[in-house]
Amino acid sequence: MRQYETLFIVTPDSSEEDLKAVATKIKGVVTGMNGIVTSYDEQGRKKLAYSVKKQNKGYYVLMDYVGSADIVSEIERNMRLDDRVLKYLTVKLADQVDPESIEPEKSEPPEEAEAAGAPEPEATEVPKSEAAEALEPGEAESPEVQESEESEKKES
Amino acid sequence: MTYNRRRRAFPRRKVCRFCADSKLKIDYKDSKQLKYFITERGKIIPRRISGNCARHQRQVTMAVKRARHIALMPYTTIQPH
Repeated sequence: MRQYETLFIVTPDSSEEDLKAVATKIKGVVTGMNGIVTSYDEQGRKKLAYSVKKQNKGYYVLMDYVGSADIVSEIERNMRLDDRVLKYLTVKLADQVDPESIEPEKSEPPEEAEAAGAPEPEATEVPKSEAAEALEPGEAESPEVQESEESEKKES
Repeated sequence: MTYNRRRRAFPRRKVCRFCADSKLKIDYKDSKQLKYFITERGKIIPRRISGNCARHQRQVTMAVKRARHIALMPYTTIQPH
């Protein structure tokens, strides 16, 4: 198992649904070939350094995944065929990765720098605070609600 | 005279900033950091000027080239028509 990251650019005029469609399609390719998506991070609209397919802006998405080398060629083939993807770049991060040590993307996309410890306690806290809200809506609101809102923003 | 001129030609030896600070990471996605290693025209600044060690200069070069490919950095600032 190898770890890869693919940074790709989606056309800026694509709608929310288009972005979601691209996400599910690309993730489906990875999972369909026994890969694991470890993070899917939409970095948002950025200005391109030069125009690509007549576009001056692009929607950058960074995806981390673990799997065999076939996945890379399959993903890149899919991206070439998809008109919504302007450009892509795949980089191998690690040659040997233990599949059991990897957590698939669920609550928080594990950003490499933060993956050590910071995001995990937050992620476990979110359901607790929500439960506390449901039980006693009056008191425990102010700090914990803010926290859960923040983590939701990060997730979205 | 010649002695003086020769002395002026050898400025202080620069230290590789990545060796000095191990926290600095060279990442092709971080175009703000990489901007330091290209000229205004988008060319990669040579090692003798940037002061990087050979290993880190290789990594910077790789990162800049990757960043160019994914349109985070320019190949050139002269826009073709």
